[in-house]
Amino acid sequence: MTSTKPRTSTRTEVLESRPVNLDGFVEEWPEKGLVAMESDFDPAPSVRVEDGRIVELDGKARADFDFMDTFIANHAIDVASAEECTAIPSVDIARMLIDPGVSRGQVLAVTRGLTPAKILDVVKLMNVVEIMQAMQKMRARRTPANQGHSTSARDNPVQVAVDAAEGALRGFAELETTLGVVRYAPLVAIALQVGGQVGRGGVLTQCALEEATELELGMRGITAYAETISIYGTESVFVDGDDTPWSKAFLASAYASRGIKMRFTSGTGSEVQMGNAEGKSMLYLEIRCILMAKGAGVQGLQNGSISCIGVPGAVPGGIRAVAAENLVASMVDLECASGNDQSFSHSSMRRTARLMPQLLPGTDFVCSGYSAVPNADNMFAGSNFDTEDYDDWNTIQRDLQVDGGLRHVREAEVLQVRNKAARALQALFAHLDLPPITDDEVEAATYADSSNDYPLRDVLSDLKGAQSVMERGITGLDLVRGLETTGFHDVAESLLSVLRQRVSGDLLQTSAVLTADFTPLSAINDVNDYAGPGTGYRLAGERWEELKKLRHVTSATNPETEVG
Amino acid sequence: MSAQPPPELTAADYPLSIKHPELLRTPTGKPITALTMDAVVSGELSAEDLRIAPETLQLQAQLADASGRPQLAANFRRAAEMTAIPDTEVLAMYNALRPRAATAAQLGELADRLGGTYGAPVCAALVREAAEVYARRDLLARPTADVG
Repeated sequence: MTSTKPRTSTRTEVLESRPVNLDGFVEEWPEKGLVAMESDFDPAPSVRVEDGRIVELDGKARADFDFMDTFIANHAIDVASAEECTAIPSVDIARMLIDPGVSRGQVLAVTRGLTPAKILDVVKLMNVVEIMQAMQKMRARRTPANQGHSTSARDNPVQVAVDAAEGALRGFAELETTLGVVRYAPLVAIALQVGGQVGRGGVLTQCALEEATELELGMRGITAYAETISIYGTESVFVDGDDTPWSKAFLASAYASRGIKMRFTSGTGSEVQMGNAEGKSMLYLEIRCILMAKGAGVQGLQNGSISCIGVPGAVPGGIRAVAAENLVASMVDLECASGNDQSFSHSSMRRTARLMPQLLPGTDFVCSGYSAVPNADNMFAGSNFDTEDYDDWNTIQRDLQVDGGLRHVREAEVLQVRNKAARALQALFAHLDLPPITDDEVEAATYADSSNDYPLRDVLSDLKGAQSVMERGITGLDLVRGLETTGFHDVAESLLSVLRQRVSGDLLQTSAVLTADFTPLSAINDVNDYAGPGTGYRLAGERWEELKKLRHVTSATNPETEVG
Repeated sequence: MSAQPPPELTAADYPLSIKHPELLRTPTGKPITALTMDAVVSGELSAEDLRIAPETLQLQAQLADASGRPQLAANFRRAAEMTAIPDTEVLAMYNALRPRAATAAQLGELADRLGGTYGAPVCAALVREAAEVYARRDLLARPTADVG
C-alpha cells in the first residue's frame, strides 16, 4: 500500500503519544459564549440607584432586567455603596486585592457594592499569580481544608464506609457520596456517616441527590450538610434546571431552618454546555451565579467549573478563569469549595498544574472533592485526584510546605479504622434489621482497594433495606442508639456530637467545619488575618511535623532505617 | 430593608455551642446539655429534639450581622420563620416556587399562608417578590395550557 501521508518525525510521534494529546481543545467562539473571560460581548460595568433601589445594572435598565439581574440588584449588591464602589477604578480594586497592607475586611467593604461586570473587569486585570496572592488573603476561613468523595461503582455501603473512614483519618474535613442506583441512597448515606465518624470524629458528610431527596436525608439527620444545590448564570439555563433564584433562596432557608449547613454549586462552562450562554463569557455568567448565591444568603459556594471542567479546560485561559471564579467567591465573602473534583485531563502534569491556584494559596476546601476511592469507583464521573495520588499529594505538601488538608497515615492505623468502620456498619445494619454484612465482607473491606475486592452484595435485599429506612422513618438518632447499644460507644458519641451541632446552628456560619475536638471553626472564630509575609495561616509547628512524614523517609541518624 | 435591632451578640460570642450553651434550647424546650447519650438510649429524645429552635436562628442571625454578613443574617431570619412549617409542607412550598409550577393566585395564597398561618412575614415577602418577577418573566403556571 502506498501512502501519500508526509513523513513525520520520530519526535512528533513521541509527542503525539503523550496523554495530553488525548485532551480536547477548541478555539474560542465568543458569540456562543465559548470563551473564558475576555469577550467583547460582555456588558460594561454600570450601576444607578434611585430611591434606594438599583435601577440600572451593567448597562441595563430595571425594566429590561432578567431574573438574575433582578435578584442580584435586589439582594446581592449593597445599594448604599454601589455607585461609590463601582466608580472606583478597577485597577485600584485589583491592587487592593493583592496589597498585603489592605486587609480582607477593607476589600470586602468595596466588593459588597460591585456589579457583576465590574467584578469581571477587576479580575480580568489579574494574572494567575495575582489571583493566587489575592486568594491567600480573601479565603474566608484562615485554616484551609479539603473534601473527599467516598462512592462505590457497586454502591456497596461497606466500601463507602471504610473508604470514608480512611479518608477522614487522612484529613478530609468533609466527605461526600452519591449513587449509581439512587434507591441505594439511604444505606450509602448511613455508611458514609458511620465510616466518617470512625475515621475522625466531627467529619461532616453529605449525599448528593436531587434537591428534595437530599433535603429529606438532611432533615432526618442521616447527612450533616448539603452542596448539590445547582445555580446557573442565565435565566434560560436556570429555568431548564427547574429552579429560579427565589426557589433556591427558599431552599437555602429551608436547610438553615433544620440546622443543616449548605452551600450552592455553580461553575464556568455550565451555561454553554447546557446550550444557552446568551453570548456571554463563562466567567461573567459565573460571577452572576456567585452574586446570586450571596444574595440568597447562603454561606458558601462550590465552584471552579465542577462537572463542566472540560469546557473551560478546552479554551485559552480557561484554567485562569477557573482560578478567578474561586477568587470571586472568596472576595464576596462566601465559603469556597474550589473544584479540583471532576476528571479533567489525561495528563498528570496538567492535572497538577490545574490544582496549583487553589493548593498554593489555600482555599476553604481545596478539592470539592478529592476521590477517596479509586477513580473507577468514583460516581461523580471521576475526580482530578484519587486514592492512587495520596502519596504524591502528601509529597507535594511537604515539598512546597503547603497545607492541602491531608497527611500520610501508617498502614496499621489505616487498617484499624477500615476494620472498625466495617464492623460498626455490620453491627448497625444488624441492629436496624438491614441486610447483613458478613465477616468475609468485613475482612475484604479492611484490605481492599476497589469495589472489585469485595464480595458481591444481594442488591435486591439492599434496595429493600434502603426503602425500609425511609418507610420506617429511621433518623440520625436511631443510628446513634444503634451504635451505642452494639458497643461502638465512641462512634455513637461522635455522631451525637455532630447531630447536637444542628441544635446550636454554629455550623451554619460561613466556612464552618468541626475540628477533632468538636469545636466549630468558621470565618467568625478563624478569621483570615493575612497581612503579608509572616502572617495569616502558616504551615508550622505540630501540623508541619505531621506533614513531614511520608511513606518512605530515610532516618538522618541511621541511613539504613526509615522514619515515619 | 427593614432596620434590625442592634445585635446583642458579637463575633466573640461564637461558637455558641462552646461559649454560650446556656442560650441554646431545643424546639421542645430542653437545654442543649440534655442531649446526652443516656437520654438517647433511654428513648427520652425524639428527632424533634435535634432540631434547631427559631430563637437560636435569631441568635445566629445576630452573629452574622455582627460579622458583616447581612444576607446570611436575612437567610437565618427566614429560616427562623420556617422552623414552624412541617417538612412536607416546606418541600411543597419549594416546589411551588419552581418555574411555571404555580399561578399568580397560588403564589398569592402561599404568601398569605406564610404570613398568616405561620407568622412568617420575611418568607411571605420573598414569595410575593417571586410572584411579581415570575409574572414579568413568564414563569407563572399556565393553568389551561400544556395539557397533553
